[in-house]
Amino acid sequence: MSQFSVSERAAASGAMSQTRAPYFVRKKKGITPRTIAILVFLSICALFFCVPLYVVVVTSFKTMDQIREGAIFSLPTIWTLEAWDHAWNQACSGIKCEGLKVGFWNSVFILFPSLILSISLAMVTGFALALWNVRWAGAFLFLLFICAFVPFQIIMYPLIVMTTTTKIYGTLWAVAVIHAVLAMPVLTLIFRNYYKDIPTEIMSAAMMDSGSFWRIFFEIIVPMSGNILIVVLILQITSIWNDYLIGVTFGGLSGQPMTVNLANLITISTGTTNYAHNMAAALLTAIPPLVVYFLVGKLFVQGVTAGAIKG
Amino acid sequence: MLKSILGGVTAALMLSSAASATDLIIYHNWSSGPEVAALNVLKAGLEAKGHTWTDIAIPHDTGSNVNLMNLVTGGTPPNVFLESSPGVYRDLIGLGLGRPLTEFFTEQGILEHYPTSVVSSITVDGEIMKIPTAIHIDGMAYYNMDVAKAAGVDPASWNSLDAMFADFQKIRDAGYIPIAIGGQQWQVGYLTHALAAATGGPEFYNGLYGAEPDPSVIDSADMRTLLETLRRFQQEADEGSVNREWNVTTNMVITGKALMQIHGDWMKGEWTAAGKVAGTDFGCVQIPGAKAVPVTVDSWGILGGQPADVDAAELDFAAVVADPQIQADFSAAKGSTPTRLDAPAEVLDACSTEVLHILEDADHQVPNPHSTVDADWQNSIWDVVFNFWSDPSMSVDDAIAQIQENYDIILG
Repeated sequence: MSQFSVSERAAASGAMSQTRAPYFVRKKKGITPRTIAILVFLSICALFFCVPLYVVVVTSFKTMDQIREGAIFSLPTIWTLEAWDHAWNQACSGIKCEGLKVGFWNSVFILFPSLILSISLAMVTGFALALWNVRWAGAFLFLLFICAFVPFQIIMYPLIVMTTTTKIYGTLWAVAVIHAVLAMPVLTLIFRNYYKDIPTEIMSAAMMDSGSFWRIFFEIIVPMSGNILIVVLILQITSIWNDYLIGVTFGGLSGQPMTVNLANLITISTGTTNYAHNMAAALLTAIPPLVVYFLVGKLFVQGVTAGAIKG
Repeated sequence: MLKSILGGVTAALMLSSAASATDLIIYHNWSSGPEVAALNVLKAGLEAKGHTWTDIAIPHDTGSNVNLMNLVTGGTPPNVFLESSPGVYRDLIGLGLGRPLTEFFTEQGILEHYPTSVVSSITVDGEIMKIPTAIHIDGMAYYNMDVAKAAGVDPASWNSLDAMFADFQKIRDAGYIPIAIGGQQWQVGYLTHALAAATGGPEFYNGLYGAEPDPSVIDSADMRTLLETLRRFQQEADEGSVNREWNVTTNMVITGKALMQIHGDWMKGEWTAAGKVAGTDFGCVQIPGAKAVPVTVDSWGILGGQPADVDAAELDFAAVVADPQIQADFSAAKGSTPTRLDAPAEVLDACSTEVLHILEDADHQVPNPHSTVDADWQNSIWDVVFNFWSDPSMSVDDAIAQIQENYDIILG
C-alpha cells in the first residue's frame, strides 16, 4: 500500500514539474547494449555463486567410487538416491545410526517453543517501550542495545549454571529458552522501532476507547504487525535452525538439534569420509530455512520496505 | 575421601559378579562407519558384563574439550569419555572428578603388555588416568603397489630419506606424483612431529614435545635438520596440495595418481573403504630411516567421585577395553592397531602387524604431542611450521627465532 502511495506521489510531482519527466522517457528506451552487458555480468555472477551448489547437489547423487576419481564437475555416471536415504535414515551420530531425522525432529521441537516465546515476549516489550510511558525506558533501551553485542561465549557458563538450577539443562527446553533469551535484545529493538512509527492519533483514539494495555495490544497492535512479524519470523527461523553452538552446549544427551548430527557426520578427523553422504546431509539440513524463504520471501521484502519507507 | 573411594572400589570389584546392571553414559566423537563398528565391539563387551550403554556423540578434538566440560558443569557428566588431552584430566582432578587408574592397571597386570609410548600417553602427572583403546602411527608411508611396480621403485627398500628422495625423479619420469601431501595446518603439524621423531630421535623429540619441553633443543642441529627436511617435503608437494584434505590426498594414492603419502595411519580406513587389501594393493612402511615413530593413542577416561556400583561398572568398561581379544576385534573394525603387543595376531592385517612389530622396540617410539604437551605450546609450533611451510622465503633461522620467542611467552 505504501509503495503505491509513493509511486502515486512521484507521478504527481512528475506531472507538476517538467524537470522530472526523463524518469518516464527512460523506461521506453528498450534493450540497450548497456542492459545486455549488465544482464550478462549478473548472469555470470549468478552462475559463479551456483557452482558450489551445483557441486554439492551433483555429488550427493554420485557413488563413492566415482567421487574418488576426483572430477567434481562431472555428472553422476549412475544417479543414486542412496546418499539421501543414508543421510536421512541411517547416518550415524555416534553409535546411534538412525539418520538425521532424529535431529530434524529435535530441531522442530526446539524451533516452535522458541519462536513463540521470543516473538511474543519481544512484541509486548517492544510495544510497551515504544508507546507507553515506561519509567527508565531510555536507560532500558540502551541496556538492550548493549546486550545485543554481548557474545554468547562470554555468558555460556553462567547460562549453564542457570539452566542447571532450573533443571532444564540437557533438554530441548533449555535450547529453546536460551535461543529465546539471546534473541530478546535485537527482537525487542526491532519491534520497538516498528511500533514507534504508529501514528499517535491511533494510539490516542485507542486510549480513549479502552485504555487497557492488553486490549490495545491484541486488538490494534497485533493486527498491525503483519509485516514486521514476517521479518522477525524469518530472522528467527534461520538463526535457530542454523544454530550449532547453543544446541551443542545445552542439548545435553537428548536435545541435540540437526546441526549437531550433521557436524557429527561431517567432522571426521581420522575416519573415512563419504562425500555423497555429507553433501546429502548438508542439503537436508539447509532445506527447511530455504523452504521458508521461498514461501514467505516476498512478504519478507514487503516487511522490510514497509519499515524503510516512512509515512 | 580418596581412601574411602578406593575401599569402596575394591569391595565393589570383589562383588563385581554380583554387581547390579549400571547404565553408563559414553561420550565420544566417532561417527564414521568403521568407528561405529568398532564402538559396537566395545558395546557388546560392556553388555556381556550386564551393563547398558547410553551414547552421546559430539564432534570435538579441540585439545581442551569444551563440550565435555560443559556437560560436567551442567551437572550431567558422562561416565566414560574419549579424551586424550592431559589438560582435561587435570581440570577434572581439580573438580574432584578425576579417577586414577594406576592401581587398577597394575593389579590386572596389563601395563607390561602395552608399548612404552602407550604407557607415557596415558600417564598424567605421574598417575595413569586413561584407558588406551587404539593406536595410530602419525607418520607412516602408505604406497600404491601398482604404481611402485610401474615406476620401478620399492619403498620398502629405502633405508633413509635421502634414498627416498633419490628415487623421486624416476617416479616423476614414469608419470606419477612421488608424494601426495595435504597442505593443511594440522597435516603439516603432524608431518613435523613425525619427522622430528624420524630425523631427531626420541631425545630431541621429547625435548620439543615432551610434558616439559627443553628449550635447548629449539636452536640445535637436530632442529635445523628437521626444518630443512620439512622444506624438502614442501618443495615436493604437488600443485593442488594447498589446503587439501587428507582423505582427498589419500585418494590420489589409491587411484594411482601418486605413489605414496606420509600421514597418520588412519588413512588405512580410506584404503579399506575403497576395497583395497594391505600387503597386496598397498604397502605401509615407517618413514625411511626413522629413528623413532610418534604414536597416537586414542584413550578413554572415566569419571571419579561416583557411587561404588557406578565406579565398578566404569572399571568393567576399562577391563573390556583392555581385553586382548576385544582389542584385536576393535582394531580390525576401526582400521587401527591394538594397544597390546599380545593381541591375537590372526585378525590383524599386514599394516597392523608391521606397526606392532615396530612398537616391540621400547626405544623406537614416542607419544603424540596431544597426549602429553601443553596445548598452547603445541599450537604455537603448528603456527610457526605452517608459516614456514607456506612461505618458501622464510629461513630456518627465522622459524627457530619464532619458536624461541613463543617458548619464552608460553613456557618461559
